Amino acid sequence: MGLQDDVERVLIPEEKLQERIAELGEALNEMYDDEDRPLLVCVLKGAFMFLADLTRHMKMRHEVDFMETSSYGARTESSGVVRILLDLERNIEDRHVLIVEDIVDSGRTLTYVMRNLETRDPASVRVCTLLNKPSRRVVDVPIDFAGFEVPDEFVIGYGLDFAEEYRNLPFIGVLKKEVYANVEENDTC
Amino acid sequence: MSQDNAVSNAIERVLLDEKAIEARVRKLAGRISADYADVEYGDDGLVLVGVLKGAFVFLADLARRLTVPHHVDFIALSSYNSGATSGEVRLIMDSRINVADRHVLIVEDIVDTGNTLDYLQRTFHARNPASLRSCVFLSKPARREIPVTVDYLGFEIPDVWVVGYGLDFADRYRTLPYIGALKKRVYSTE
Repeated sequence: MGLQDDVERVLIPEEKLQERIAELGEALNEMYDDEDRPLLVCVLKGAFMFLADLTRHMKMRHEVDFMETSSYGARTESSGVVRILLDLERNIEDRHVLIVEDIVDSGRTLTYVMRNLETRDPASVRVCTLLNKPSRRVVDVPIDFAGFEVPDEFVIGYGLDFAEEYRNLPFIGVLKKEVYANVEENDTC
Repeated sequence: MSQDNAVSNAIERVLLDEKAIEARVRKLAGRISADYADVEYGDDGLVLVGVLKGAFVFLADLARRLTVPHHVDFIALSSYNSGATSGEVRLIMDSRINVADRHVLIVEDIVDTGNTLDYLQRTFHARNPASLRSCVFLSKPARREIPVTVDYLGFEIPDVWVVGYGLDFADRYRTLPYIGALKKRVYSTE
């Protein structure tokens, strides 16, 4: 099939992933109640699978919304400034916002998205990420909920891609070096 | 009051439970994987286009059960009318992948009047894909205004207001893990 052949090893198997997501759901149930009515903001595309599973465990009233961003190109990458292709449908003034991310890497884009959302006067902005790669951090960004800390390796699956591929693997895997070594890396976040 | 209580007060009955949904999604994924078995990654590969917001749950479950390589993309639509399923459709965010010569599979949560799916099929057809099919979780044939082809269908349901598994009522109940029928007094009072 090719899909799994490019995986060097499974970093987080499906059961472990689901167990941890249920725990994160519980943590959110303690943090928020019906009155808070948090708005979960999913930054596409990577986080959609995590969002689908995470929200199944949430007991309080909540809503979901989506944002899609795109890089302006290599020259502006270091600033983290991105183009917003799809903005939120909801007005977030006085709302409790929870940004749902697949992975926090350099932290640049996330910081920019947070700053952008904060200009809209929400009641709070918190971050819930499935994976955290602190070794790559460039901008210090507060993370309120994190699923797993991962080493500085090329991780794929469960929403995470390499050049749009492998997103649908139900586990988190490490991509074989030979797969990405001969391709120019131009799709980082 | 917890969401659990609030929800059970709003839901008339469970139409499709988690088990039934999971079994059906696996079956659909198996059929799609068999039908696209010869398609590989690349410029002529398979692209799943999920329609926001409703289809994200179905897409997440379907994609991870597919054994064929594919890309995932999203499209966001809105209606010019206040009613979500009738009238002219407006494109809010287009898909990012160029679908020319690719195999496109539109992934939708529900087909109701057929207007949205018809719009999507016309839109993508004009982009000269290698093939164009649709995979829809729920169909309400009683509401159909335009005939549309659904290649992979999850369930046919009666004409009741359903929520959960991506489907909402005023953005509520969208993430319930089952499909429930909403009580009449909930949608007739707001």
